[in-house]
Amino acid sequence: MTAATAPAGTDGRPRASAVPLPAAGRLLRLELRHSVMLGLLPLVVALFWYNGYREVMALPPMWNLRAMTLQNRLLLDLVIPATGAAAWMGSREGRRDMTDLLGVTARPRWSRQLATWAATTAWAEIGCLACIAVVYVMTARQASWGGPLWWPAVVSVAGVPPLTAIGFAAGARFPGRFVTPLITVATFFGFAFSTQAASGDHSYWQISPLTSGAFDIGAAPGVASFYRYLPDLSIAQVMFAIGLTAAVLGGLGLSAANGPRLRWLTALVTAVGLGAAGTAVTLAGTGRLDPHGMIVIPALHDAASGQPVRYTPRCSRTAIAVCVHPAYAGVLPAITAAVGPEVTEVAGLPGAPARLSQVPVAYQQGPGNSISISVASRSQSAFAVPDPIPGQPGMTSAEFAAQLAQTLGLRLMSDVILSGGDRAAELNPSQAQLAVIGGSVRFPPSVEERDLAPLFGHLLPVPGSPAARAARRFAVLTPAARHDWLAHHLAALRAGQITLAELP
Amino acid sequence: MTAAPAGRAPRPVLSSRPDQAPRAILRLAWLHAVSRRLPAALALLAACAAGLRGTLYGHWDAYGALQLPLIIEAACAAVIAVTAGSPFGEPERATGRWLPFLRLGAAVALTALAAGLLAAAGAGMPLAGGFPDLLRNVAGLTGIGLLGAVLLGGPLAWTGPLAYALAGVYALYTDWHPPTLSTPWLWPGRPPHDVGGALCAALVFGAGLAAITIRGARDSAGGDPPA
Repeated sequence: MTAATAPAGTDGRPRASAVPLPAAGRLLRLELRHSVMLGLLPLVVALFWYNGYREVMALPPMWNLRAMTLQNRLLLDLVIPATGAAAWMGSREGRRDMTDLLGVTARPRWSRQLATWAATTAWAEIGCLACIAVVYVMTARQASWGGPLWWPAVVSVAGVPPLTAIGFAAGARFPGRFVTPLITVATFFGFAFSTQAASGDHSYWQISPLTSGAFDIGAAPGVASFYRYLPDLSIAQVMFAIGLTAAVLGGLGLSAANGPRLRWLTALVTAVGLGAAGTAVTLAGTGRLDPHGMIVIPALHDAASGQPVRYTPRCSRTAIAVCVHPAYAGVLPAITAAVGPEVTEVAGLPGAPARLSQVPVAYQQGPGNSISISVASRSQSAFAVPDPIPGQPGMTSAEFAAQLAQTLGLRLMSDVILSGGDRAAELNPSQAQLAVIGGSVRFPPSVEERDLAPLFGHLLPVPGSPAARAARRFAVLTPAARHDWLAHHLAALRAGQITLAELP
Repeated sequence: MTAAPAGRAPRPVLSSRPDQAPRAILRLAWLHAVSRRLPAALALLAACAAGLRGTLYGHWDAYGALQLPLIIEAACAAVIAVTAGSPFGEPERATGRWLPFLRLGAAVALTALAAGLLAAAGAGMPLAGGFPDLLRNVAGLTGIGLLGAVLLGGPLAWTGPLAYALAGVYALYTDWHPPTLSTPWLWPGRPPHDVGGALCAALVFGAGLAAITIRGARDSAGGDPPA
């Protein structure tokens, strides 16, 4: 027998590692080089690009929308490659029938397994972080206001270790050829559909790392814009992820430990992990929807984090300035285009606001997953931007304009025509007043008659009525002409002294 | 090393005697099936069918109703794909002239069984898309899995069907959230009777069958045999 020689470098001298590492570090380095997760990183990138990136980047460049959507999409794209790779690596010893051979080495089996799991997790985390970095860098270049929301990213990163731990433990425990696809599918199934059982803001299922906010709100422009992003749910989710990882890996160690000390240690890790995960689930069940659209968990809530965000609004250069939160700067042109004629028509008239300011909406949890949204302010100059906004799924520019016409445009005109201090006119408007309102508000073709039906007789003329015909006549005029007419006849119109025949 | 006594030589799998040929072929097929863990695969396919039946009793929203069957179909395809891996490698290829037929038969039989079991599981239940959708998805996903077995090896063949299923899940999601992904190559997102999607799935299934029949699953790198 001859002594083994150290590998020689090109100069013939023994080659030493550039950085001397302890045994665990060297083992980890070996595992990093041989992890199948490295080979699956292109698949991670491809899946994320196809399923997540394109959708996230198609959203308006608002930090809240993109970060919260990213939390949901990224982990979903990572489930299959990360869990599968971990299961594959976990089953390696059993697959190669090397368990007995490696059992006589100096290192306990659990520590070897932890090194393999850590290497797989490290590559998965690198993939996860790369995806986050790309989205955040792109958003930083496009966003009109604000900075990165870190908690959704933290939850995404924390969501990876449980996936790899579950896959690894299953692979190590059942090292067959079928275990990898089956545990991958089972994890994906459990992960992706865990939120289906959720109901309301007290649901324990909110603990799923895919949940970035209240159900039926999710990533909404009104959430975390006017108020800071509340980390309560994120903290519980991270706690759950860490606890679950510890419990699964501890459980793996329980079956692999071959000494009383190690068995105690793994039992302790398992118990602590289960305790942390259970506590996190319990905390998630105490959540409630706050008026700003985020989940508050009383035990984790910091009252200081619920303060409104300071900002300088972005205003249009229209006759009546339309001011929005700077995060909404991208939709300001769409808003001014939608209500531009009405703004031109009423600007400077008695009772018209000098400025229109966006205010936050208030969210309220209803039965089940239903959530009611209302405008927080009743001021004449306050308005809420419709949610969703153009660029979000299910909202086109035409629909956005239609919603603005139905809300802001109609309210602006009715406030000017009907108010003026005459409460009776507000409750029982004259046909001429209805005709002027109907002729002034420009509804896009997408707005159908049935959408406006509740307003007929109260704010709009009944279709086919003489007032409706007068409204069509009035609508033919330019906004400037309508403004001139109103400037001369508004007082009489409000007093009910104008007949339909007198309308231009 | 000593030669085995002539009287105790192992029995040839395929006998040259015509009266024993059918029995020998059955024995060969059985040995092939056992070496690929086909009995376990059958049990898992049955479990998947039972899982589908169980989930169909649940109350799912529109996403779940459409996406759940696809995930279970992908699981079946992944199971079929990983059975393609051979534990013998080169020695088997060098000696087995019946091997291509066995590989073809195993893949076709498992696919047919998977479709049949899932269809039976969905009978009388609100299975989204019905049998045409199920058959198209199982065939297409299995084709991807078989191609993956040829390219990556049997043990890693699951990556194809499962990754594709994730893309399919997303395609179904875009049915509610435009722009809809309408390419027929992403057939899970197409309607059940869509000819383009069915043709693409059939093409992929045919390609997978041809590849696995002719080439067989790739031997795993580093002598990493399937368990």
